[in-house]
Amino acid sequence: MNLELIPLLIIVLLMISAGGVDVETTELVIEGDHEITEHRGALIVGDATVTIPDDETISGPVYVIGGEFQIHGEVEGDVTQLSGSLVVENGGTIDGELQHIGGSEEFADDAAIGERSTVEFAPAEPGPIAAYTPVVLTTLFLSLVGAWLSRKRPALLENVGTTARDHPVISLTVGALLSVTFLAVFVFMAFTLVLLPVSIFGLLIGLVTIAYGIIGMGYLAGKRLDTPRVGLATGLGVVGIMMLLQVVGAVPILGDLIAGGLLLIGLGAVVVTYFGLQEFEPVSLPE
Amino acid sequence: MKLFDFVRERQWVPITGYLIYVSALTAGYYYNLTFVQLGLTDLGTREIGMAPEDVSIVMGVLALLTLVAAVGSGLVMDRRGWSTDLYVKFRLLFLIILVQLLLTIAAPFVSTVEQFVLWVVICSATLGLGIPVTFSFMLDFIPVRDRGYVAAVVAGLSFFVAALYPIEWRIHEFSLVMSAMMVPAVLILAVLSVKRFAFVDSLAGQHERSTFRVGRFCRPIPIRTLSFAFWGPVLLMFGVFFIDSLGFLRIIEEPLYIYTSWQSPDLSVRLFIAVLHVVGALAAGVLYTNFDRNWVFFWVFGLFAFTHLLYVFDIQFGGGETPALILPMFYVLAVSFYTTLNFALWPDLSTTETIGTHTALGVGIAGWLATFMSTALALYSEGIGLPLGSHMTYVNALSLLFIVALPILLYVHRMFELARGEVSS
Repeated sequence: MNLELIPLLIIVLLMISAGGVDVETTELVIEGDHEITEHRGALIVGDATVTIPDDETISGPVYVIGGEFQIHGEVEGDVTQLSGSLVVENGGTIDGELQHIGGSEEFADDAAIGERSTVEFAPAEPGPIAAYTPVVLTTLFLSLVGAWLSRKRPALLENVGTTARDHPVISLTVGALLSVTFLAVFVFMAFTLVLLPVSIFGLLIGLVTIAYGIIGMGYLAGKRLDTPRVGLATGLGVVGIMMLLQVVGAVPILGDLIAGGLLLIGLGAVVVTYFGLQEFEPVSLPE
Repeated sequence: MKLFDFVRERQWVPITGYLIYVSALTAGYYYNLTFVQLGLTDLGTREIGMAPEDVSIVMGVLALLTLVAAVGSGLVMDRRGWSTDLYVKFRLLFLIILVQLLLTIAAPFVSTVEQFVLWVVICSATLGLGIPVTFSFMLDFIPVRDRGYVAAVVAGLSFFVAALYPIEWRIHEFSLVMSAMMVPAVLILAVLSVKRFAFVDSLAGQHERSTFRVGRFCRPIPIRTLSFAFWGPVLLMFGVFFIDSLGFLRIIEEPLYIYTSWQSPDLSVRLFIAVLHVVGALAAGVLYTNFDRNWVFFWVFGLFAFTHLLYVFDIQFGGGETPALILPMFYVLAVSFYTTLNFALWPDLSTTETIGTHTALGVGIAGWLATFMSTALALYSEGIGLPLGSHMTYVNALSLLFIVALPILLYVHRMFELARGEVSS
């Protein structure tokens, strides 16, 4: 499953829960090509190609968060498109409202759409300033938190940083296992709708932990600056780590792997040191 | 890793020990994963035409006989000092592989129920003997420091190859390939059984070093066979694997799930599963080596529980679509973790005096008995036409029973300790 779908999936599940649709009839199509001839309840189109054939009708609502949704037949309810591609062919019909929030759409001349609305959150092609503003703001925020923490509780960051440096394989293993397992658990929780708040809270804790790992590694990088001003050094170290992640992430595949690996090492180091509260020592085995 | 020290210091003899261990255990486990587990069902149902429930009874017999043979031979090995005599173990292994070679060659020609039962009885005797012989090699070849990693390599490699070959199960073809692979091993072991070599003499003396002879969990006090410290892990490993594989074995036989399992006709799915087995095993190796064993237990139980939940949820709400690869992904991770733990744990709960018995009991009960009893029961439930939903209800009931029994047993054990004054508070 494409990880970028997860935030959209959570938004959709929130929308479904607010709309009062029965979760037991909600279906998520994650991958592959599918022809759907009958469906009751909400349908979420993920990284898949979903087709409603000619002369077939499904009830909806339908949420498109990725992949492609082709309508040759009829959707009786609403269609909400957050991402991916929506194609309504000749004779294809959406009886309810089509709400377009993101993604591409294509309508044949004879396509019939009951009602249409568009929600624009951002220009399609943001300029360089708009594109980098979130990264710059995140970096600034993490630097400030890092500077404050390194002055108030340097031992916490010391433990996280040294563990990431001295035990990268262990940190990476723990980070990778935790992220894979808990990501799946939180997405799974989101589907119960009852646990949706727990799921969102859990994902936020995960993001905070990753950010803490970046600060820990920034502290370690800052120590190399050899300055007595530990707060400044940590702040600059965090900036360095964030820049490294951006630069490395620009390289396709390998860069993503390295950047992801660094983040997971940080995450693992934070977890095995109990957020820096204790030094990590592997169990003692006879040499 | 200690292995890197050996390489740096060019100590080729201990390095050879690693190679022998990995080759022997990987080949042995691959043989069991494929020829015994797949082959037995195929031989019984397709080649001879037995009903699945009859084959399940034979599999149950195989499991019990294997356990009896393993425990018997483990006890004898420890009492006679064979567990620490590498030459004796090579001779026993030679005997085992020779008989298994003959069984492999004979398998395609088995055509009656009587022949099949005889084949199973002989097979279980050799498998039973093979458990303490091969698992106690850890004591001779692998220092305590590296056992988690080496166990991971064995588990990962075996599953990797088994997931990719054979793609289509044909007993005649596979019997031929396996026989051809076993012949060199038989010849090498034949030579090692009758002739002494300087490097084998050195290997045979490694178990006298403190870094080899006392398992990780036997320091400073060795774990006795009749103790909670030994039977606790046996019960845990048996319970978890028996219950979970009982459910999964039925699930993956469903046509819907075959496309995302070991039996998938899609090579990319099998490659995904194969690579994930290696990744999962290595992760388990890292955790086993660097954390307290409870951490690895925790991961094994957590992964199995979550995977079980995913599959049960998919059965109820999946809508009949081919499930996403995330389902087999978690199952593969859980199995790799469990297998790695099984390879490393029992030798680490042993010393030179107990390794035969402990590996026989541990692997025999938590590995063989759990696997084959669950396979037999799953096959039986399929054979009598029990619907998947009802089968899963029984599995869930067993899980609940296990979850309730576990803390109660721990609590009662603690009570006994307090009553005997073995702990201060």
